[in-house]
Amino acid sequence: MVWAMSGMLLVLGFLGSLAWMTQKARVDRTSRLDPDQAGRISFGTIDTMESLLRAQQEVQSLRAQLAKLQTSVAENSGQGQLLNQSLKEAQRFAGLTPVEGPGIVITLRDVQNPTADMMIEATIIHDVDVLRVVNELWNSGAEAISINGQRVVATTGFRCVGPVMRVNDVPIASPVIIKALGDTDTLLGGMNLPGGIISELKETSPKMVTLEGAKKLELPSYSGSTKASVSKSTPPKTQETP
Amino acid sequence: MILIPILALAVGIILGSLVGAPVTGVAGVYLAVACLAGIDSICGGLRSYLENKYHADVFVTGFLSNIAIAFFLAWLGDRIGANLFLASVIVFGGRIFVNLSLIRRYALAKWTESRLKRKNQQEAETQARAQTTTP
Repeated sequence: MVWAMSGMLLVLGFLGSLAWMTQKARVDRTSRLDPDQAGRISFGTIDTMESLLRAQQEVQSLRAQLAKLQTSVAENSGQGQLLNQSLKEAQRFAGLTPVEGPGIVITLRDVQNPTADMMIEATIIHDVDVLRVVNELWNSGAEAISINGQRVVATTGFRCVGPVMRVNDVPIASPVIIKALGDTDTLLGGMNLPGGIISELKETSPKMVTLEGAKKLELPSYSGSTKASVSKSTPPKTQETP
Repeated sequence: MILIPILALAVGIILGSLVGAPVTGVAGVYLAVACLAGIDSICGGLRSYLENKYHADVFVTGFLSNIAIAFFLAWLGDRIGANLFLASVIVFGGRIFVNLSLIRRYALAKWTESRLKRKNQQEAETQARAQTTTP
């Protein structure tokens, strides 16, 4: 009786203290998050190692590809040059090369000392605000956009994770500096249009937004993953004329 | 004798806290239900001992299978979208109460019995003494 009971109590004590610590760690870690976010986090671990390994593999394969391309350019200069040029064009369009040129810089800031008549929600720069600014910039003819050093490309996502927002899965926070290349006057005019996101933010507090033109801006290239795991390119189809 | 299980419990708790790392993922969520099942089994074993119905094999297998079943039910509930772990919580919680109340009754019964016995003994002794002193 005593020995069986002792053995089982040992197991129970072990399980109990583990459960206690698990719950304590969970509460410590997630009590400041939204309940649904806390739920998601406690039910799974975020494995960054896997994506890091994948990125490293991709870098290696890209380097091999680059070397192959360079040798082919050297061997066959006529066709190679043409190919190289179209590759460069595609890379510039996809945001894989650094670019420079005239443009504007928009800085979005949280309100530092909100007064009582402001809604707290409105005094913070949200992912949606950044997304709307970017949309209006594209619409005004921007050719390339970066946000706090993160180049905006076709797969760029803007989302809110707790107290920060993530652009290209890189956490950023206020002040959000948005650089856009394009014709400075056109961009400034487009962004200052009444009823746009800029005027909406300025309504809360004029200090939330600063807009300035720039003669020469330098935007970094996109540094995230460009690997496609399931989709592949197909040859363009000949279009039927209606 | 009664200290050994208490010591074992303490050792278990210390071992658990020595592991240190919280259990990640879903296993951590189901651990609580498994604990409840364990507590229930311990109470059940104590009760059956007091009822003189205790069998070590029944107790050990019951303890292990209860924990496993609670774990499995909680997991299954999450898979099929019914909160089956509530079933474990209610059943084991209820049984813990029943077992503990029965244990209390047996303990009380034993205590009153021993008190009565002692009283009877004392009376018998005083009577015997009275008989011996009176010639």
